[in-house]
Amino acid sequence: MQIQDLILKLQRFWADQGCLIGQPYDLEKGAGTMNPLTFFGALGAKPWNVAYVEPSRRPADGRYGENPFRVYKHLQFQVILKPSPAAVQELYIKSLEALGIDLAVHDLRFEEDNWESPTLGAWGVGWQVVLDGMEISQFTYFQQVGGLDCRPVSAELTYGIERICMFLGGLDNIFDLPYGTVRTDEGEHIVTYGDMRQREEFELSAYSFEHADLDLHRTLFEAFEKEGKRLLELGHFRSAYEQALKMSHTFNVLDARGAVSTTERPGIIKRVRDLACGCAKAYAEHETANAAKEVL
Amino acid sequence: METRTFLLELHCEEIPARFLQPLADEFKTALTSKLEGIEVQSQYSPRKLAWFSSMSGMQADQTETQVGPPQRMCVGEDGQPTIQGLKFAEKWGVDFSAVRFEQPAGKKEICAVVTVTKKGRPTKELLAEALPGLIAGLHVPKAMRWGSSDFEFVRPIRNVLCLFGDEVVDFTVDGVKSRSTTWGHRLYHRQHPEPILVKQPEDYDAALKAAGIVVSFSDRRAEMGKQLHALASEVNGRVVADDHLLDTLAEIVEVPKIVRGDFPTDFLDLPKEVLVTSLREHQKAFCIEDANGKLLPHFFTAANRTDDPKGFVKSGNEWVLKARLYDARFFFAEDRKHKLETRLDALKHLTFQRELGSYFDKTQRVMQLAERLAGLLGLDAGHAKEASRLAKCDLRTLMVGEFPELQGVMGGEYLMREGAPAPVWEAVKEHYQPAGADDALPASELGALLSIADKLDTVAGCFAVGLIPSGSKDPLALRRAGQGVIRILWERGWKSDLADLAKSALTVIGVKATKPETETLGALAAFFSDRVSYQLEQAGYAGAVRRSALAVGGSDLVGLKARCEALSAFADDPRFASLAQSAKRIANILKDEMPSDAFDAAALQDPSEKTLAALLQKLEATKDHKALLAELAELAQPLAAFFDAVMVKADDPKLRAARLSLLHRLRQAFLRVADFSQWQ
Repeated sequence: MQIQDLILKLQRFWADQGCLIGQPYDLEKGAGTMNPLTFFGALGAKPWNVAYVEPSRRPADGRYGENPFRVYKHLQFQVILKPSPAAVQELYIKSLEALGIDLAVHDLRFEEDNWESPTLGAWGVGWQVVLDGMEISQFTYFQQVGGLDCRPVSAELTYGIERICMFLGGLDNIFDLPYGTVRTDEGEHIVTYGDMRQREEFELSAYSFEHADLDLHRTLFEAFEKEGKRLLELGHFRSAYEQALKMSHTFNVLDARGAVSTTERPGIIKRVRDLACGCAKAYAEHETANAAKEVL
Repeated sequence: METRTFLLELHCEEIPARFLQPLADEFKTALTSKLEGIEVQSQYSPRKLAWFSSMSGMQADQTETQVGPPQRMCVGEDGQPTIQGLKFAEKWGVDFSAVRFEQPAGKKEICAVVTVTKKGRPTKELLAEALPGLIAGLHVPKAMRWGSSDFEFVRPIRNVLCLFGDEVVDFTVDGVKSRSTTWGHRLYHRQHPEPILVKQPEDYDAALKAAGIVVSFSDRRAEMGKQLHALASEVNGRVVADDHLLDTLAEIVEVPKIVRGDFPTDFLDLPKEVLVTSLREHQKAFCIEDANGKLLPHFFTAANRTDDPKGFVKSGNEWVLKARLYDARFFFAEDRKHKLETRLDALKHLTFQRELGSYFDKTQRVMQLAERLAGLLGLDAGHAKEASRLAKCDLRTLMVGEFPELQGVMGGEYLMREGAPAPVWEAVKEHYQPAGADDALPASELGALLSIADKLDTVAGCFAVGLIPSGSKDPLALRRAGQGVIRILWERGWKSDLADLAKSALTVIGVKATKPETETLGALAAFFSDRVSYQLEQAGYAGAVRRSALAVGGSDLVGLKARCEALSAFADDPRFASLAQSAKRIANILKDEMPSDAFDAAALQDPSEKTLAALLQKLEATKDHKALLAELAELAQPLAAFFDAVMVKADDPKLRAARLSLLHRLRQAFLRVADFSQWQ
């Protein structure tokens, strides 16, 4: 299956289940959870279903485009269902069927894997979903986000798009994945994941392991934090949250270079979390105020 | 009253393997405490927790004694019941003639008393009332909420099956109503959308088996073990045994099935430990080896279905394993691009412990300690120094980053391939051993030495900065490390003194210590004494032998072992019981005395003490422990006779001094082998 087919099928399936189809948020981030559609969507009492693709950057996973399984940036397909439906596992299984994964001939298991994001003050419990021995998804019941209890609880489903595609195609190299087909007046050709991304992988890996200016990143981290705090004081949780995302990515760049010592680490993570939790709290207060207005 | 079988099944979304048995056991206890005298059996699979019990249909009637007002208020002077007396009888529904007059415990006078019978309730009713609370009350270490409810459990409860005989026990847990149906394997329900009906508890196992689930963990485990062996013989190999892995596999599937996969033979170039670890950690898969212990290019893992109609289960697992092994091979190749020792500098950025510094600092200390030990034990100091210099370098390799449990092993493997001398790479490879009570000891001398030096530095270092294990708190596993040191010294029979070792380690730690040296040495002595005592217990010595031998010193393990061996021959000798009593007496007598070593034999009067004086000369001349103990056994009777015949603290100061000195010298002679006052 081509990557774009997989994405289109998942979007169609979840739209049919009553999900909004969201878009990636245009800032660097390590996981789809960080998109405000999830971070803020999982908070508060209002029912909320959303699904979207999120390019996720993990500087330490960069391999210069030379490792067939690991990349600096991969695609996550993220679904949030709030409150988590009673039949959520069956829904998930149906989504696999929509991708053409016929469970009559595969082995599916849900194995314990609890999720935690110290930078977001978030955690949940759940599983990694294992198909024929391979982890294809992460399945989480959010218990806390931004340091606040999730009531009701959201179910988060995260599909590893490249992995599933490789697995379905039996391919041994991520860069050989067919992304999609281009048709022009002069004919058609398949564009591979490698065509699209290999050079990008090389440069971004080189950047995070060699060329990133560490002093600049340390300065940036401080500056984003200062900016975030200032915005939060204005009660502007959405713009403040963007600063938290920037802090998080800056930290990841520094971390990939080994520029963060083990003793320093918890302190830095806490600074990001403090801002993220501040944003969550401000959002909750804002929502409560809005709800009160509606009652009036 | 007829008995019926009770069945409760909680059908949940996949429950983490590690919680299944504890939850099954906890509910058993809870139910037994609610309904006394019943036996509860449990079964579990990833989505099911089930309990069975045989119970009477009715609870037994219970009699209760009710105490009323004092007799004087219930019976008038005329002997007739008063209004108050009649009211009491009426309250409990009995005739006044059934009222007795007794003095109940805790009352000052005789009171009206009735025995009332509380009708036993139907068990089903009681169950319906109690079960929701018992289920909600189960303690879940990592509880979760789901949906819009505040109910907490290990994973969402999706169905409750509860029967008493052929009737449903009615109740509701978090909005889920109990019923007589449940769900089988997901695959089964693809073809049979309806839930499966369980008419009575006795049908449960068969009904679920028909729906694709073996609910009993032990049945699944046994069957998987059988399949493993059958599959292994198909490829003329044997399974690299791993009981823990088999447990895990039996806990994560609902139906027992082992599938075989193969991997390309060129991955067999990787060290065996890497393959075994990668297969186990990443793929929950067993390795297969031939008769010589060489791995074969196959693996076995579990599937949650009994067949593989299109071969996807096999090919999928193989695909993933290949990806993993590719990664492992990548790490293995990358790591070897630079010699292991190039990581030394990077150890400066890896904290060992805040006060004790980095792994680089630790390496410097272990080098000094290892060199010193080598001198002491007559081993090659150059090799000892080199092995300890390189011991921690693999912490900075990619492979150990991925598989922390391969620390040491990888360092050894890399050094071997670099052409390091065998004693050096073997020592690095083995120096984390023993990692626990069941783990093997380092096989090589230098490995044993390095292991001792490394662990000694860890223990002494932590003690020196006040990190001392207490009670159940031992986050740094110092007891395990200390026990490792003792086990190695004990098994190797290396002549060394624990107090000296502790002192050497502290000297090397030097200024990093935050606690005064004397305090730390005291704490270490107590710590090692406990470890030694445990070692003696493990070695199987009797309590009397352990206590009395250890009481005269546990710092020299070789001497201690020899003394314990010698003492063990007399462990059941009644003469030693008598000797022990005399030894206690001597200890008491000498408690506040300062007897001199020399005594005037001529001052002794009684034949019994003259005999002792003669025996003492023989004792003092005897060097061998065994011979000494034989003589001590012979001493028991004369010693007892002495205490019968004389008053030690005689009025004549000369005589008294001579007797005290005689006892003192006898005691000194005992203490060379054991403190017999600790024998009993």
